[in-house]
Amino acid sequence: MLSSTEQIAFVLLVLVCGGLAFQGFRRIFVIVSQGKPSYRTDEFLSRLIKALIEVGLQKPLFKSRPIVSLFHAFIFFGFSFYLLVNFNDLLEAYVSGWTTIDSSHPVALGFNLFSDLFSILVLIGIIYFLIRRFIGKPRVFEFNRNVKLQTKVVGGGIRRDSLIVGIFIILHVGSRWLGTAFHLAERETTEWSLPTASLVAPLFFGWSDLETGIHVTWWLAMGLIVLFLPYFPRSKHIHIFLAPLNLAFTNREANGKLMEPVDSSKPGASTLDELPWKQVLDSYACIMCTRCHEVCPAHESGTPLSPSALEINKRYFINQNSSDLAGGKLKLDLLQEAISSDAVWSCTTCMACVEVCPVGNEPMQDILQIRRKLVFDANMPDELSDALRSLDEQGNSFGESSRKRTRWTRDLDFPIKDASKETVEYLWYVGDFASFNQNCTEKTRKFAEVLTTAGVDFGILMKDEKSAGNDARRVGEEGLFDALAEDNIQTLENCDFKHILTTDPHTYNTLLNEYPSKGGVYSVKHYSTLLMELIHSGKIKITKPLKIKGTYHDPCYLGRYNGIFDAPREVMRQCGVELLEMSRNRTNSFCCGAGGGQVWKKEHEDMKQRPSENRIEEALLTGANYFTVACPKDMTMYSDAVKTSGNEKNMTVRDLVDYVAEAMELEKLTNEETYESVPESSKVENNASEFQE
Amino acid sequence: MLQIVFEGEEKHFYANKLDKVHMKVAVLLKQVPDLAEELEVDESGKALDTEYIKFRLNEYDEHALEEAVCLKESGQAAEIVAFALDGEEVDKALFSAMAKGADKAVKLTGTEVEGSRQAAALFAETLGMDYDLIMTGVQSVDDRDGMMGPMLSSMLKVPCVSVVTRVEGKGSSVTVHKEYFGGLMAAFDVQLPAVLGIQAARQTPRYAPVSKVRQVQQSAVIEEKSASGVSGSATSKVTTMAPPTKTGGAKILGSVDELMELLKEKGVA
Amino acid sequence: MGNVLVITEHMKGEFQDISFEMLGQARKLSAGGSCCALVYGSMKDRSSELGAADRVLCVGGSDDFNPETYASAALQIIQSESPDLVLVGSTSMGIDLAPVLGVSLDLPVISYCSCIETSGDNFEFTSQLYSGKMDVKSTAPKAVAMVLAGSFSAEDGKSGGSASVENVTADFGAGRVQFKELIEPEAAEVDITQSDILVAVGRGIGGKDDIEVAQELAKNLNADLACSRPVVDAGWLPKSCQVGKSGLKVNPKVYIALGISGAPEHLEGMKDVSTIIAINTDKNAPIFDVAHYGMTEDLFDICEELEDSLS
Repeated sequence: MLSSTEQIAFVLLVLVCGGLAFQGFRRIFVIVSQGKPSYRTDEFLSRLIKALIEVGLQKPLFKSRPIVSLFHAFIFFGFSFYLLVNFNDLLEAYVSGWTTIDSSHPVALGFNLFSDLFSILVLIGIIYFLIRRFIGKPRVFEFNRNVKLQTKVVGGGIRRDSLIVGIFIILHVGSRWLGTAFHLAERETTEWSLPTASLVAPLFFGWSDLETGIHVTWWLAMGLIVLFLPYFPRSKHIHIFLAPLNLAFTNREANGKLMEPVDSSKPGASTLDELPWKQVLDSYACIMCTRCHEVCPAHESGTPLSPSALEINKRYFINQNSSDLAGGKLKLDLLQEAISSDAVWSCTTCMACVEVCPVGNEPMQDILQIRRKLVFDANMPDELSDALRSLDEQGNSFGESSRKRTRWTRDLDFPIKDASKETVEYLWYVGDFASFNQNCTEKTRKFAEVLTTAGVDFGILMKDEKSAGNDARRVGEEGLFDALAEDNIQTLENCDFKHILTTDPHTYNTLLNEYPSKGGVYSVKHYSTLLMELIHSGKIKITKPLKIKGTYHDPCYLGRYNGIFDAPREVMRQCGVELLEMSRNRTNSFCCGAGGGQVWKKEHEDMKQRPSENRIEEALLTGANYFTVACPKDMTMYSDAVKTSGNEKNMTVRDLVDYVAEAMELEKLTNEETYESVPESSKVENNASEFQE
Repeated sequence: MLQIVFEGEEKHFYANKLDKVHMKVAVLLKQVPDLAEELEVDESGKALDTEYIKFRLNEYDEHALEEAVCLKESGQAAEIVAFALDGEEVDKALFSAMAKGADKAVKLTGTEVEGSRQAAALFAETLGMDYDLIMTGVQSVDDRDGMMGPMLSSMLKVPCVSVVTRVEGKGSSVTVHKEYFGGLMAAFDVQLPAVLGIQAARQTPRYAPVSKVRQVQQSAVIEEKSASGVSGSATSKVTTMAPPTKTGGAKILGSVDELMELLKEKGVA
Repeated sequence: MGNVLVITEHMKGEFQDISFEMLGQARKLSAGGSCCALVYGSMKDRSSELGAADRVLCVGGSDDFNPETYASAALQIIQSESPDLVLVGSTSMGIDLAPVLGVSLDLPVISYCSCIETSGDNFEFTSQLYSGKMDVKSTAPKAVAMVLAGSFSAEDGKSGGSASVENVTADFGAGRVQFKELIEPEAAEVDITQSDILVAVGRGIGGKDDIEVAQELAKNLNADLACSRPVVDAGWLPKSCQVGKSGLKVNPKVYIALGISGAPEHLEGMKDVSTIIAINTDKNAPIFDVAHYGMTEDLFDICEELEDSLS
């Protein structure tokens, strides 16, 4: 259909733009390869296939924002089909006589129908997005004022990019659709297989410039694509290639298993090339949709952390300096260009950002790598180093003597087996908070009573127990984690038990997922699973169902990290609690704000509302009066939040063990349960300096 | 006439460029019982039962080390050597010191050290006049027989200033701030060699990341020196050690109402 | 029974209370022997205040608290006087003096004395070690003792009598330590040493934002805000609010201590206050030993309830 001049011109255009695009893509490859090893290249084919299937079903997108995801699906399926469409258009251009318009072959008819409908769907989709961004201006696209942003981002770079892409798509698809109408008009016919084009075609019957029109629309459609090729490396639109690739390289091991440092003598990262290459690829796959900071408890509460900004900043800096970066003449200093150190220290490691990202990004990993480097250089908030020092010296973060670990057992009137000396079925790894925090020790005692009454054979490690080290690792202190793990594994080696039991999801996470690579492989059980088993097997008899309305908060390290959602709910149900779900539940659970070392730190001065208070408000909306927790840190955080938000009369915080104890009519249960206020602070008290004045 | 300067005015101690100086600094460290522990008296009734308690670096020695490392980082100290008497978990403390920035670490072995006076004698013997500046914590929780720094200075016959919060090298002397009470301070110029008893470093003592300490444990070696430390006959004899007798204690009020009554009674509320 | 020499301390033309406290006890300890006071610099003009001593030895020299000159002068005087017991304050000045004297004179040094008595030919000392967690008793026939402020009564040291005043010459040493200047702290908004009622916060307050709770209470009680050292170190309140050894000594009518554990250094600044009310969730906290009244509930709860009652 094209003249030979046109044909040659198009080939030249393809060569030039293709060449430029190739350069751009090659540079991306170079920059990504500068990153450190990611250990994710095993079984590449199966990874890729799995990623392609996920993308094909658009599953990662629908994890949040269902309506937006629907419109994107229009565009995705439309555009995917358009590969065929563009191929057809090339044939039309170069093979004389080729057309599907007046063919009656079923394949051609099907092709026509799909290309017509998909064109409209794509146009609807893209117009929706443009309206949403430019007129609707959703709040989620905004960053907190204190978030570090590259200048070009502040200057509207993302909007400009969206506009360019939007216009390109409208022109590309629109002119192709119009061209189809012109083809129909040329034949002065309408086809049922081209319904929407046929609606418009009659307008052009008899138009003298139809031929020109057809050529122009062809060139607009095909030419724009080719012209757009070199733009990809600079645009978030490159996600159409790199998102599936990025999804192929996601973590396939347990969520809760952190990557070991590549070189333990130089842990962590301060520049882009010191990050694992997957993290560099993340910045290219990022579609800048802000789903991540929408679910981030740190951003929601007003702190300077936006996982979205982190990826966007990386991308923008790379865009502006790609040739220098690729040539090794320049390095991207992460704390200077991508994220502030305040933001790094505000992360709770809840993993919501990783979970929700439709393109498989892992902003949390960047933060952990930066933390490792900062800690290695002893560059961290003082309260954190106090907590770490205490962990190092006494094996707990509370600054208490290790000998005081078993103080909580004093008020019990039955003995507890010493698991380091006797054989037990369940070695109960109590954990720091459950042992030392005054809010939690009451629950710990209650659980001990429940276990004893149910006839469970259990014991504890007494004063030899040290913190399992989950949060020390998440703060970035690899060395301390190694030391704690070594000591604990050594202690456990001398014990005889079948399973490790714990009430603390953080402890559960690291013992289950990270201790094996340190040499300690154990069967680890969370107490919610055990309680469920005990109730089902009749060892715990529920005699007095509670008949209350409760909501359940999925702890990050139990739910999102380790997939345990149903056991706690089953326990509640068995105890007669009517379960009312919050909207952010299961994998979408909203973090209490204590993880990643936050419980040891001062709150950021910009914090507007604690994540835990935000969560209590959400709980109130369900109509429940009881807020159920299955984690000692949650117990502390939410007891505090109920008070500080003034909701003591409306919401009571209860642990699973409270329900079980009451429903089984455990002896010595006090009728009026009051929660002691958080003593002095739920954060750690310092050690010797306490005694200075 | 004393010249009084108000700290509120812009008189920065570290104003302008600091002189580059090359002091050789010794930092003297000691392990003390961790006060987080519950302390008990042993069978003799005269000393602490140390079997189960943990030890940690004397907090003020930590400050001394921090200030020394800061001096090195600002180009005023050329070399920092950390010294410690042999004792509980002292190796870890010395490796930590090197991880924080000390160039070398030396452990003094060979003698049972009883008391800070004997410690001072040991250090005097080992250090001699090899160092321009000797820094140590102003005091410790167990220096019953006197503060080690001043005693050492007397044995070496060099000057000593204690309760120091700032140090600036000036070639053959240092300028220090000595803290009194209520925020009052005095600045002194001290000729080297000298001993300083450090109260507080210019910044919070840095954390020694465990991985760095482990690295140091692999790569560095703690020197050992033995010393005999004869300290003379001047000793006092310990007769008993016991927790202080509670002197009667406060009257515990049962409720805020009672507290209000009390406040009204005292004319406060 | 023996000769006791007290090294007095002064600041800005006034004898510090510790000097009178030591003098009062020295008087008792020296019964039968002589009790002298060593005075530096221009304080010789105020020697009449030291009536509790038998003799006042004025060394002269400057007023500039120079550790070297002060130690050097004291050394000579003590060598010629040969007292059995030398009393020095357990203070910033004392730390530079006493251990040095002990070594030079070959006398044992006793730190952190809260009590000194005679026992036959010996003196018996009680030292507070491990941040007040242990009391250690020791004996020695002769010693240099460092006395904790507030251990003895200043009144006893101020009681009458008249001492003979002698000017003595001394060598002030090699001049390796030079006084440069005195540095005043920033002018305080409030002078808490003059306050009638103080609400003091310790580490237990939790954080800078939580101090508001105490500030509210202070406002409602017409009181001033004070604190312990860790609060100043953390930057939550200025140094001018600090009560204790390296802070200020206060004497209000009522002292309310919120979340303060009661380490010896803090107690030094307030233990003689006539009404001390302590609020701390740790019922074993040392503050309850000096407080007259106490509560062990959470301080925030108590403050909240007080707020309601007061308004």
